[in-house]
Amino acid sequence: MEPFDEDAQLMVRYRDGDSDAFSTLYARHKGPLYRYLLRQVRNAGAAADLFQDVWSRLVATRSRYEARAKFATYLFHIAHNCTIDFFRRDLKMRNTARPDDADALSEPEVPEYQRPDGIAEFAEQQSALLAALGALPREQREAFLLHEETGLTIEEIARVTDVGVETAKSRLRYAIRKLKKSLLPVPIPDARPLRTRTI
Amino acid sequence: MEPTDDLDEYLRGDSALSRQYRRESTPMPPHALDRRVLGASRGAHGKSPCLAPLAFAASVLLSVALVLAIAFGPQTAKRVDDAPRLVRVAAHSDALTNPALNRKLHLYSSDPKSARAPAKWLADIAALHRAGRDREADAELRRFHSTYPDYSTGDLALRPGGGP
Repeated sequence: MEPFDEDAQLMVRYRDGDSDAFSTLYARHKGPLYRYLLRQVRNAGAAADLFQDVWSRLVATRSRYEARAKFATYLFHIAHNCTIDFFRRDLKMRNTARPDDADALSEPEVPEYQRPDGIAEFAEQQSALLAALGALPREQREAFLLHEETGLTIEEIARVTDVGVETAKSRLRYAIRKLKKSLLPVPIPDARPLRTRTI
Repeated sequence: MEPTDDLDEYLRGDSALSRQYRRESTPMPPHALDRRVLGASRGAHGKSPCLAPLAFAASVLLSVALVLAIAFGPQTAKRVDDAPRLVRVAAHSDALTNPALNRKLHLYSSDPKSARAPAKWLADIAALHRAGRDREADAELRRFHSTYPDYSTGDLALRPGGGP
């Protein structure tokens, strides 16, 4: 089958033993993938771990790769699965950390990357748009990031996230509507016309 | 404006939202992470899946060669050499009078050409002579003559009246 895009051709070459093809693929996709993960999990350490995990899975499963679709959908489908696993693990960790007995009133143990100071530090570096992006529900944020970082169409976003096209479209629509509000200029409460002195 | 229009405008790629997002900082993975990923990709390449069928084929070939060597190699020839040893054991322990060993001897003797080499057989006969077991030696020599009628036995000859 003829590969769908140049990246798919590179992946086929890597599958067949060309290491340089992987270097090119990596250079092209490392930025978008890293930002997708960073803005999804909102923690640099966790994003770095997931980033490595995604590429490791790609390398480990290279022999089964078939160029059936755009390479980015393949890569980001792996990334989507990795983040789903991450959020599941995170939820499980929070649930198991919740004590049932006398310690119930104390603070539950949370991973370092979820501690308030870490989140605050991350949030300080953000613009209004990125802060609004971080405040979106995860699925809406993901739809927006997939389109912005990789240029995937709604159909491709649906395929990556394992949902129907209408669901993907709806998620993206809501994301845009909320994010656009963050672009509106903030009104200055004390803005009054200057008084001019009449002579 | 309707949300649908927002989406259409956004998907065209020239929305204010997209422009603003592209102006945001674009963090990249740390260089250490780059090195780790690229190193892992090359390391995995050393263990290329293309080599797996080759390795499998090589081990199959090696196994077949081993089986063939065991079945048809020098070990088989040695087995022919081993046969007279049984005869020698039988001779030394009066095997001819032992029915169980006799049966074994008969088995080996039923097709002597495939079981014994002439030179080895003659050496066994000579050994019987040296041990003073002339009757047995003569019997073996007769058997030898009937198997190899054209083979010169040299100074080994049937003694008159030495038959069984």
